[in-house]
Amino acid sequence: MGLGILASRTIRPASRLLQSQRSNFFLRTIVSKPELQSPESAAVSEPEPPTQILPPRNPIGGARVHFSNPEDAIEVFVDGYAVKVPKGFTVLQACEVAGVDIPRFCYHSRLSIAGNCRMCLVEVEKSPKPVASCAMPALPGMKIKTDTPIAKKAREGVMEFLLMNHPLDCPICDQGGECDLQDQSMAFGSDRGRFTEMKRSVVDKNLGPLVKTVMTRCIQCTRCVRFASEVAGVQDLGMLGRGSGEEIGTYVEKLMTSELSGNVIDICPVGALTSKPFAFKARNWELKATETIDVSDAVGSNIRVDSRGPEVMRIIPRLNEDINEEWISDKTRFCYDGLKRQRLSDPMIRDSDGRFKAVSWRDALAVVGDVIHQVKPDEIVGVAGQLSDAESMMVLKDFVNRMGSDNVWCEGTAVGVDADLRYSYLMNTSISGLENADLFLLVGTQPRVEAAMVNARICKTVRASNAKVGYVGPPAEFNYDCKHLGTGPDTLKEIAEGRHPFCTALKNAKNPAIIVGAGLFNRTDKNAILSSVESIAQANNVVRPDWNGLNFLLLYAAQAAALDLGLIQQSAKALESAKFVYLMGADDVDVDKIPKDAFVVYQGHHGDKAVYRANVILPASAFTEKEGTYENTEGFTQQTVPAVPTVGDARDDWKIVRALSEISGVKLPYNSIEGVRSRIKNVAPNLVNTDEREPAAFGPTLKPECKETMSTTPFQPAVENFYMTNSITRASKIMAQCSAVLLKK
Amino acid sequence: MAAPFTLRKIGVPPNSANLTEARRRVFDFFRAACRSIPTIMDIYNLQDVVAPSQLRFAISAQIRNNAHITDPKVIDLLLFKGMEELTDIVDHAKQRHHIIGQYVVGEGLVQNTGNKDQGRTDFLKNFYTSNYF
Repeated sequence: MGLGILASRTIRPASRLLQSQRSNFFLRTIVSKPELQSPESAAVSEPEPPTQILPPRNPIGGARVHFSNPEDAIEVFVDGYAVKVPKGFTVLQACEVAGVDIPRFCYHSRLSIAGNCRMCLVEVEKSPKPVASCAMPALPGMKIKTDTPIAKKAREGVMEFLLMNHPLDCPICDQGGECDLQDQSMAFGSDRGRFTEMKRSVVDKNLGPLVKTVMTRCIQCTRCVRFASEVAGVQDLGMLGRGSGEEIGTYVEKLMTSELSGNVIDICPVGALTSKPFAFKARNWELKATETIDVSDAVGSNIRVDSRGPEVMRIIPRLNEDINEEWISDKTRFCYDGLKRQRLSDPMIRDSDGRFKAVSWRDALAVVGDVIHQVKPDEIVGVAGQLSDAESMMVLKDFVNRMGSDNVWCEGTAVGVDADLRYSYLMNTSISGLENADLFLLVGTQPRVEAAMVNARICKTVRASNAKVGYVGPPAEFNYDCKHLGTGPDTLKEIAEGRHPFCTALKNAKNPAIIVGAGLFNRTDKNAILSSVESIAQANNVVRPDWNGLNFLLLYAAQAAALDLGLIQQSAKALESAKFVYLMGADDVDVDKIPKDAFVVYQGHHGDKAVYRANVILPASAFTEKEGTYENTEGFTQQTVPAVPTVGDARDDWKIVRALSEISGVKLPYNSIEGVRSRIKNVAPNLVNTDEREPAAFGPTLKPECKETMSTTPFQPAVENFYMTNSITRASKIMAQCSAVLLKK
Repeated sequence: MAAPFTLRKIGVPPNSANLTEARRRVFDFFRAACRSIPTIMDIYNLQDVVAPSQLRFAISAQIRNNAHITDPKVIDLLLFKGMEELTDIVDHAKQRHHIIGQYVVGEGLVQNTGNKDQGRTDFLKNFYTSNYF
């Protein structure tokens, strides 16, 4: 039997055919009928696709959904996926919640909707043409389709139109590598173009030394126009002309003098507005990004430092909803080139002929250790600077205290400022809480130059809810409607006694916020002024369990941490009778007050004003080179991260003081940063909890009555030149250009 | 480039039986090294830089550094390495700046810094070296 089958397999091909035909009896022939050929029947007979369990989708693009009214949630379908959104959401926001990223150029989540780029077109069922998802509100039951051929064709078409008049500048454009147009044309554009005519070009506008404009590249998305008018509060930019002749510019030959002007660089999706100092310096893929904190003012904006090797190339904002949203001030953004000039890199001792000589650390510390023992404890003074981090201030205070002296304070805290109650030097409504205020009373503070991010928040509140702003102080410029109530303490007295017309507005406000500037701490009648402010607060129900509207706006990044750690000035004559002065980055100290025979040690990173009086220079690291804890004016603790290595032979501040303590014989009990932090935890535990805000525990009720009287001298501005406030900005060429060109005379 | 006749005789065989023999070998090595000092000074032109007594002191200091070791095998290994180094130097495989930097008494040598850093903690020693520790 088996052999027979085998034999049958070996027969010749012709007979195999006969064999196979015979065996076909058992195979069914495939026969096609005309009904089966038509498409409709195919559709009918196709079985229903089983209801798939779609994978869960997460919101993308950092979108967060907040249901203020849970009953008002509506359900829409994005690509077949059902998603619940609050009532006022647009189609684009609904798609973001559903995890679909829709391309866009003119839409920005923090600006008003323009709807002029048409890149966000999606197909909505039952709609004759694709809709601009950024502008169309999402209606219940809407079926949104983002990946249909119509939507794709729309995107390709928009891309083609945008690229028609766009110059072929990619190789020389700074935005290459991080350009929205490049990314979206790769993702959504067609592969070939059909444009054979001449492209139009536009003349460049001069917006100042910070923003470089190549207006030919502009795609007229109007993001910069909306930013300038809404967030910055200055109506500098506008769209001139119509159709293809549209140009963005300031109609008059005006520079962008706003302190937030650098943010248009981030906002512009193409390379039309770029950073002038960063022009042609680096491509974004060669830069290493480090997320850190800014210290040029007391706000502590979150930044990202882009560095290439040992050099900081640029500074970009980071998102932090509570403090700076997505913006940073110009000073923060462009002060980085001051980190390359006037840097102290070696320890130096002043020779007998008055010139500095570079020595080794051993010798420098030995000299300082010798001198400090020849001085009486009361004559030792330590001053921490504006940019000092909490660790170095803690070690300085410990060292000076161990040497027997109590004279250690931070710049900006004059005599008599007491740090017992934290509410008296913090912004008690947090910066994000200022959005809920409906009345602002600014006392002796110009937030525009002191803390640009706080000013942006006030501007946002005024714009959103028409909050009233009253200002007491020297005449200043504001980018929102502000009533100038007066210039000095007299106005405060009037308000406190209820005689001023502003008092009615104060009484009617539901959430009033009083912001007092820290420049007032330097006045002799400070206690009287503060007690008058507190009486205003009390009379108008400003401090309540659910709302604390009494705020103090600090000037320097180190002030809040210094006051938390207890670095306060006890006696006014400490500096005048000092024989040994240790300046840790303190440049605003009045150098003339230091006696001629005092031995001054300057520890810092820039050769600024105080260096010229110093006898010994100890080089320290700047904020981009060290890991330090900073507390901002609302009590939010943050840490800087080192982005670049230290310059030359510089060391971290706290390490220098700790080494000095060992050389001087009063060795401090910690020798690592964790040790310093555990010491800080003993003193001010909120400084160890990074990325957390510690509100003040007690209110003004605990303060005793103040018997002093106010003087009549009007308030002085605390910041003369916005662009040059600390040693880094004073060494920066860009800041010098800005202050020469952009300051209002 | 030939090693001098004296050195060829004293190659270090791998095993010393006990500490005494290892000690003997150490002294033989020291003697060989001191006898090659004039050659070294000639090769590298160290006549104005250093005196032979200083070089002898440097060699003896390096040997004294390991004076606390008692294991003959370890001593053998150290001797082997010392012999290797000596052969390199005598063969002119090194250069003048190597000799000056490593053996002429200067800043970083053990003799000089010993008394400065004795009482110092690790923190201070690291602090003087660099910022990152």
